[in-house]
Amino acid sequence: MADTQSYENELKAAFPAIVHTDTSQENCSQFLVPKALLPAITHYLHTQPGLRGRLTALWAVDHRPLRDCYSLHYLFTLEPSHRWALLSTELAGADRSFPSITPHIHAAKWYEREIRDLFGLIPLGHPDLRRLVRHEHWPKGTHPLNKDFAWDQVMGRQQGEHHFRRIEGEGVFEVPVGPIHAGIIESGHFRFSVAGEPIMQLELHHFWKHRGIEKLFEQQALTAAVPLAERVSGDTTVGHSLAYCQAVESLLQLEVPRRGRYLRSLFLELERLHNHLGDIGAICNDTAYALPHAHCSRMKEQIMQLNDRLTGSRFLRGVNRVGGVAIDLTAVQLTEIVAKLDRVEQDFSELESIIAHNASLIDRLETTGILTERTARDHGVVGVVGRASGLAQDLRRDRPFAAYDELPVNVVTYRYGDVRARMRVRMDEIHESIRLVREIRLKIPQGPISKEASRSPQTGDWALSAVEGWRGEILYMVMAGANGTIHRCKVRDPSFANWPAIQWTVLGNIIPDFPLINKSFSLSYAGNDL
Amino acid sequence: MFRILKKSLKTGVVTGQHPAAAPLAETPTSEAKDKATPFRSSLAFRAVDTGSCNACEMEMNALANPVYDIERFGVHIAASPRHADALVVTGPVTINMEQALKDVYQQTPDPKIVIALGDCAINCGVFKGSYAITGPVDRHIPVDVRIPGCPPRPAEILNALQELRGGTVSNKN
Repeated sequence: MADTQSYENELKAAFPAIVHTDTSQENCSQFLVPKALLPAITHYLHTQPGLRGRLTALWAVDHRPLRDCYSLHYLFTLEPSHRWALLSTELAGADRSFPSITPHIHAAKWYEREIRDLFGLIPLGHPDLRRLVRHEHWPKGTHPLNKDFAWDQVMGRQQGEHHFRRIEGEGVFEVPVGPIHAGIIESGHFRFSVAGEPIMQLELHHFWKHRGIEKLFEQQALTAAVPLAERVSGDTTVGHSLAYCQAVESLLQLEVPRRGRYLRSLFLELERLHNHLGDIGAICNDTAYALPHAHCSRMKEQIMQLNDRLTGSRFLRGVNRVGGVAIDLTAVQLTEIVAKLDRVEQDFSELESIIAHNASLIDRLETTGILTERTARDHGVVGVVGRASGLAQDLRRDRPFAAYDELPVNVVTYRYGDVRARMRVRMDEIHESIRLVREIRLKIPQGPISKEASRSPQTGDWALSAVEGWRGEILYMVMAGANGTIHRCKVRDPSFANWPAIQWTVLGNIIPDFPLINKSFSLSYAGNDL
Repeated sequence: MFRILKKSLKTGVVTGQHPAAAPLAETPTSEAKDKATPFRSSLAFRAVDTGSCNACEMEMNALANPVYDIERFGVHIAASPRHADALVVTGPVTINMEQALKDVYQQTPDPKIVIALGDCAINCGVFKGSYAITGPVDRHIPVDVRIPGCPPRPAEILNALQELRGGTVSNKN
C-alpha cells in the first residue's frame, strides 16, 4: 500500500492541478485532470519507470440530460503494481475538442478516432483523423452515442470514399482483401502494399460489422442485458457476459456466492479450451497441414458437445446471470467433465508431439510475423498475443476475479513473438486450463449459486470490471441511469487493443503468410466493431 | 510417421458421432426444393457475414470437421461468389455491409439459392431496431431457406440442408 500512496503523492507533486477523488473501485485511483494537462500527465504515467502505465481503455460519456457536459476517461494499468489509474476530464457546454494523446501513446490512436466518430468530440493534434467506425457513406454529423441521437434512427446515405494510405513507386502495387472473404470468416478489409512479394504496408479497414451495441445497451435494464453481452462476440460468450455481470454486481453491491464463482471459473476455462483447440488446428491448417486441423477440430467438437450436455448450449449461453450463475452442476457432471478432459489431454499430448516433430511446419511458423516486445508494449497489446511477446500479464493472476483468488494460475510467456510462440502459448494454456478444471472439481464448495439484488444503484454510479477471456483482457464500464437502466456501457474487447498491432507484425513478410499471422492472432471482428 | 499411423488407428472413425438433430423448426418450401434440384448431388456455397456475432460462422466451420464432414454430402465452400450455387448469409445486415451483400448477390450466377442462417439473419435477433442495422437479409435480397437458431447446431444445419436437397442424413449411430 505504501508504494501506491507514494505514486499518488508523486503525481500530485508533479502536477499540482490534478485532484484525487475516491472511487468505490478496488485497486483503482481516480484523478480529475484539466484537459490541457492530459498529454503531459498521460506521458508521465506511461513513461515513468516506476509506473509504466499501459493505456487499457479510453472512453467518453455524454452526461446529458443530467448535466450538460461530456467526460473523457483514460484508464491506465500500472504494470509493476497491476493497479488502475483513471484520469478523468470534463468538456462542458459547447466545447467539443480535447488534446490528443496519440502523439505520445500509440495505443490511444483508435480510441480517439472512435470517440470522434461516436460522440463528435475532436482530438486536436491527432495524426490521423479519418473515419473509423462510421464509414464514409454515413451522413455528416452522425454521432450515434450522443444522447440526442435516437437509438432506432434510420440513417440516410451520402457519397464518400475511404482513402487508404498510399505507397507509390516502381513495382509497388496494392492488394485489397475483403470485406467478404473466401473462407468462413467475419467481414473485414485489409489493404496491402507490396513490392514483389514482401509486404511494405498493411492497412486495416474494419468496423463493417458495427451493430451499435453500446447504444443498444442503453435501451436495456441493468439486470436484463446479459443476453446482449453474450452476443458481443459469439466465441467469447462466457468472457463477455461474466465481465458485464461483474460490473453490474459491483453497482448493486452483490456478493456472488463461492460456488457460483467457482462455476464461473469452470465455464470460463471450458470456453478457453474449445477456442484454443480450434485455433491451434487452424494455424496448422493455414500451412496446409490438415492432419492436426482434423484432430483439433474433433477435440473442439467434443468439448462443445460437452458444453451442450451440461448447459444446453454449445457456446455456454445462458450460464452467467447477474448475481451468480444460472446452471448448477452435480458431482456426477463434474466427474464427467474431468474424465472427458483427461481423455482430451492425453489425446492432445499425442498430437502435440506429432506437431512438434514436423520440421516443415515449424519452419513456416518460426520467425513469421514477429511482434516485438517493444511494439506490443507501445500498442497496449493484451492476452495470448502479448504473452507470446514476453508480456507477463494475465488478469486471472494479476487482478483475480471469479474464483481465481483461490486457484493460482501459472502464466506462460514466450519471448520471440512469432507465430510459433503464439501457438505454444495456446498449447501450454490448454494443459493449464485442464489442470485448473481438475482443481476446481476438488475445491468447489457446496452452497447457493446465485443471489438476488436487494438495492438499486444511484443514477450516475459506475463500475469497471475486467475478465481474462481466452483472447485476453475484456473490459466493461457500466454507468447506471435512472430506475435501473444503463446510462452508458463501454465494451472493450481484447481485439480492439490487438488489431492495430497486427499491421506492424506483417512488414517484410509475404502475403501468403498473412493468413497464418492473422490466425495466430485470432482476433474478433464482431467484438472489435461492436 | 508411426506416430501419425498410431494416432489414426487409435482415433478410428468419428464421423456421425453427434447427438441427433431436433426436428426442423421450419421445413423448406416446395419452391425452395425445386430451386435446389440442380444441386442435389453437389452444392457449393459462399459464406457471407453481414454482422453476426461469429457463433454462426463457428458452427458452419464445425460442419467441415471430421464429425459432421459435410463434404461427404457433396457440399463444399466456394472461395468466390462466381463459383457458388448458394449464399449462406449470417447476421443482421449492418449499414456498413448492406452494399457488400447486394454486390455479392449480383456476382453469384443464377440459378442460386440464398440461405439465411441463424435468428439474426432471419429477424435481426437481439440487434433488432438498432440505428446500425438496416434489417434482416430478406429486406435486401430474396431468401429461399431459413435455418433458425441462435446459433443453429451443426446437426440442425446439416438436417435442414439435406431436407432442402431431398436426402436424409445418414447417421452412423
